[in-house]
Amino acid sequence: MSFRFIHASDLHLGRRFANIPQPEDSNIRGRLMEARHGAIGKLAQAARDAGAAHVLLAGDTFDTATPSAPVIRQALAAMAEAAGVTWWLLPGNHDNLRDAEPLWQTITQDGPANVRAIRDADPQPLAEVATLLPCPVAWRATGSDPTEALVTMPSPEGALRIGLAHGGITDFTESGELIAPDRDRSARLDYLALGDWHGRMAVSDRVHYSGSPEQDRFRHGRRGVCLSVAIDGPGAPPRVTEVETGQFLWAEADVPLHPGQDAGAALSAVLPATGRRDVLLRIAATGWATLSDRLDLLRAAGRAGAEFAHFDLVTDALRLQSDEADLEQIDRAGALRMAAEALRDEAASETLGATDRRIAQDALARLHAYVSEGTA
Amino acid sequence: MKLRAITLTNVRRFTDPVRIDGIADGLNVLSEPNETGKSTLFDALHAVFFKPHGSSDKEIKALRPHAGGAPEIAVEIETGEGRFTLSKRWLSRPTATVHRGDRLIAQSDEAEAWIAGILGGAPGGPSGLIWVRQGLTTLAEGSGKEERQALEARRDLMSSVGDEVEAMTGGRRMDAALARVREDLARYATTGRGSPRTGGPWKAALDEVARLEADHAALSETARDLHTALDERKRARAELRALEAPDAVAARSKRLDTARAAHQAALRHAETVEAAAQKVGMSRLAVTAANRRLDDFRAARDEAQAAGAEATRAAQALAERRAKLEQAQATRDMAEAALQQAQQTLTAAQETRRRAERAQAARDGAERRRELAERIAQADAARDAMEQAGAEARIGPDAKALHRLEALAGALASARAARDAAATQIVATYDAGAEGRILLEGAALPGGRALPLPRATRLTIAGVGTLEIRPGGSDAGDSVESAESALREALDRIAAPSLEAARAAAATRDAATRRHAEAQARLTALAPDGIDALREALARIPDAEEDSDLPDPTAAEAAERQARSDHDTARLAHDLAAERLSGARSAAAGTEAAHGAAQARAARAAEAVARLGDVSDEALVQEMRSAAEALAAAEAVHADRLRAAPDLGTTAAELSRADSIAETAQAEIARLKPQIARLEERIARSSGEAVEERLAETAQALEAARADLARIEHEVAVLTRLDAALDAARGAARERYFAPVAQELRPLLQLLWPEADLAWEQDTLLPRALIRAGQEETVDILSGGTQEQLALLVRLAFARMLSKAGRPAPVILDDALVFTDDDRIERMFTALHRQAGDLQILVLTCRQRAFRELGGRLLHLERAG
Repeated sequence: MSFRFIHASDLHLGRRFANIPQPEDSNIRGRLMEARHGAIGKLAQAARDAGAAHVLLAGDTFDTATPSAPVIRQALAAMAEAAGVTWWLLPGNHDNLRDAEPLWQTITQDGPANVRAIRDADPQPLAEVATLLPCPVAWRATGSDPTEALVTMPSPEGALRIGLAHGGITDFTESGELIAPDRDRSARLDYLALGDWHGRMAVSDRVHYSGSPEQDRFRHGRRGVCLSVAIDGPGAPPRVTEVETGQFLWAEADVPLHPGQDAGAALSAVLPATGRRDVLLRIAATGWATLSDRLDLLRAAGRAGAEFAHFDLVTDALRLQSDEADLEQIDRAGALRMAAEALRDEAASETLGATDRRIAQDALARLHAYVSEGTA
Repeated sequence: MKLRAITLTNVRRFTDPVRIDGIADGLNVLSEPNETGKSTLFDALHAVFFKPHGSSDKEIKALRPHAGGAPEIAVEIETGEGRFTLSKRWLSRPTATVHRGDRLIAQSDEAEAWIAGILGGAPGGPSGLIWVRQGLTTLAEGSGKEERQALEARRDLMSSVGDEVEAMTGGRRMDAALARVREDLARYATTGRGSPRTGGPWKAALDEVARLEADHAALSETARDLHTALDERKRARAELRALEAPDAVAARSKRLDTARAAHQAALRHAETVEAAAQKVGMSRLAVTAANRRLDDFRAARDEAQAAGAEATRAAQALAERRAKLEQAQATRDMAEAALQQAQQTLTAAQETRRRAERAQAARDGAERRRELAERIAQADAARDAMEQAGAEARIGPDAKALHRLEALAGALASARAARDAAATQIVATYDAGAEGRILLEGAALPGGRALPLPRATRLTIAGVGTLEIRPGGSDAGDSVESAESALREALDRIAAPSLEAARAAAATRDAATRRHAEAQARLTALAPDGIDALREALARIPDAEEDSDLPDPTAAEAAERQARSDHDTARLAHDLAAERLSGARSAAAGTEAAHGAAQARAARAAEAVARLGDVSDEALVQEMRSAAEALAAAEAVHADRLRAAPDLGTTAAELSRADSIAETAQAEIARLKPQIARLEERIARSSGEAVEERLAETAQALEAARADLARIEHEVAVLTRLDAALDAARGAARERYFAPVAQELRPLLQLLWPEADLAWEQDTLLPRALIRAGQEETVDILSGGTQEQLALLVRLAFARMLSKAGRPAPVILDDALVFTDDDRIERMFTALHRQAGDLQILVLTCRQRAFRELGGRLLHLERAG
């Protein structure tokens, strides 16, 4: 009979999302926080569904070294409710052993019986057939491979060797942390459960990042998942199934524009049709647009944006196409026209810096908007 | 472009089409009474050229007749290209077309573009410049109130000029845009300095960033503290664990026990070493003692022998010395007696010589004594005489005083003679027998000679009575009196009763002075060094001594010399003997001492030998050898023990180290436990406050706030840039258009007011004042007429400028000259004609009579067929 467990990481409980703008009549931050807490229940459900008795959390269960008491208590309470499931909490870089010592102490002392805080790099029997080989993160930044100890970590003869670690793979350029991607071979592992990377990534057959079960940034383009893993026996390739757990989708989209296009329609085309309330969307408008196009785009964004959990239209990369009609709209002639042309020339200038060009372009757009207001 | 005809359909009151035809080049005049629709015509022209056919704003709606319908306006124009008809219809089925003859040239937007081109659509060009309304821009016409407002505005001619300029510089749209940008900017920044405005979003964003930065710094600090505390606690716990580990405790205690035991053993061994050393010392003492005894024995024996021999020698020497001493003593005693004798003889000889000499001296001094005594007596006498004469010489006047007296007496005599000469004189001549019968002051008046009477004088004449003679006043009496009193005073000063007495006293004094000098000379001769010197010399001469036995001095002297020589010889002999005696005495004393010492030595040696008792040299040598052997044995024992001894210093150091280790461990434990407790308290507090959670939140919020601030700063930059661009464009437009206008205006201006000129407002580039004959009058104080004339001229200048630019446009004037008087109107007409040479001018007026004289072509509104 195969050994089954759930692999997840980077719950980042307690993240407050203060960087997400929250309009007065919105509680998006609260909803995002709540969704993170909700991931616990979804993991428990995934464990039940898979018949797994263990949930391995590969680090960064908590967003900071000292989460507030409600965050800790409510998380532990939620885990305690998952009967028949043992939670293995590995310290990651955010909740590393040193900085988060009080946290791990609290969990060890006051945590429910089915929650295990891993505070040492000692093998832990998961079942008769499997041994957990954990590599807790001792410091926020180690600069060395935390899985090196796995090579020499002993395990009973015939038991599965399941590594649990937190950090970047050598191949990544992102973090500079260095987990050897072939650690499964050098440490004779049947499976290496990794955390730190918030997106799902299969490094090799036996080495996996589950990603965060609830996404928290515009990067990975899909809802969070956890991994349901089944291993038939030592040496057998693990069977890894992704189970979607995420509530919110953090999506990014480009809207490439060209002059004369219906900018509003172009925007609508990239917007998801359903579930907008649970989607955080960042739209990057690129290409060229006339002043009118731009105005249309902004108006369309203003209309659609409110339907989303969060909506961000980035127009930094959108260049202004000078259009006689736009200028005519400002004025046929006279000083207004001269000002508009001066700004248009400045926005297209090769000699000016990008910032100044941007300012000139926006100033022209603003003039257009003012004049349009006046005649509308 | 020139206007040729205008057709209105469904425009306000003109529900039926009306038409103005035959508009010529140059000046055209439509002179109609009020309410005939001139302003409607004006607004219609404006709409054709400036209102897109798609427009339905209130100006267009205002063109609609009360009955409703779509306004339609057609204008025929002529350009260099030929003749065109522009037609527009608004509101319902709006259209715009351009026909050339019957051919459709353009329609809809293309037609609009065509019209814009006709107006001079070059960017920035003064399109529609001349299409001026007087005053209001609204095309409204209707209620009386609006009409009045329009008139009011038309009268405000300068503001109309302003409108012209504003039209060139962007007009109300520009103003609106500028107002908007400034309004938006003012929400963020203070006007002027461009710094964040208090209470504005920019300031708020800045404050928020600052607040979050401060929060972030504070929380970072707390987080750092927490980390430090965690590290410290970890370290402290590790230390404590290490210190309190059971094997560590056991190792410390074992180390202490071992060190203590080793040290005890070392101490005990040290004691045995010490004992052996003591034994060595004692053996060494015994060897030394034996050695000394042997040496002592041998020395005492030798000494006893030597001392005995020396004592014998000393006794012999002593006997010899004593004999020599006695002999020397005798010799000296004799010499001493001889010396005493010689001494006595010498003393006697000396006495004898002295007495002989004195006797001789006394004999020699007797004569001189008598002579000196006599001289002393004489000198005493001379001195007495000198003193007496000296005393006398100080009495009586001296020569100088006497001389003064004589002078005073002479003066008195002169005064008297003068008085008598001037005085009344009487001369009595007695009869015979009657001599002396006249008494003067009781005495008989002598007769026969003149008697002067210096003052009133009473003469008693016997038997007759008295005769008083009173001489006249004269000063002479006074000078006599003063001379007398001067003389009297001088006499009184020397206490002389009269001049004669004074003279006698002076003579006496003189004689005494002479005597004094003589006595003094005598004294000096007798005793040149004074009498006392004489007396001393007298005392020095000895009195004579009577002794007949005395030898003469020469013999006495010889006897003394002999005695002295004898005495010297005796002394020499005596001294020699004394010296010899002293030598003998000291030699004897030395020998005696040596003898005593030798005896004492001999006695001591004997005593020492006795003290050593009954010992032998052999026995002592044997004793010494056995003592040396005992020493060697003791030394060997000591060396053995010393070699085997553990280092006491090392064992003591070990013990002290073990002790200190144990103590330090205790102290560390005592320090660490409360430290850990404190750190735990700190950690519990910080982690309980979720400091890192809040720090992360603050960091995110700070990031968002910074982005917000950047956005606002960008917004401010955009608004500032736009503001600057608009401002610069308007400024440039003013510059660009207004200068030529001013230039064009000048000749027109001088048509009306020779030598007049305009002053321009620097900021607004509007006419600010009219300058006539050097006097500056601001526009607002000019009369309404002058203002409207000025405005008209400005407008004509604009038109002329356009025409010169190759884009002639008609000038349309709607009731332009309301306030202008007849004379001025003439000149305005001249100006209009002058301009009409190269411009098309369309004058709409209700003042039919006044404008009859204008000339030009008269136009009429006619129903269109």
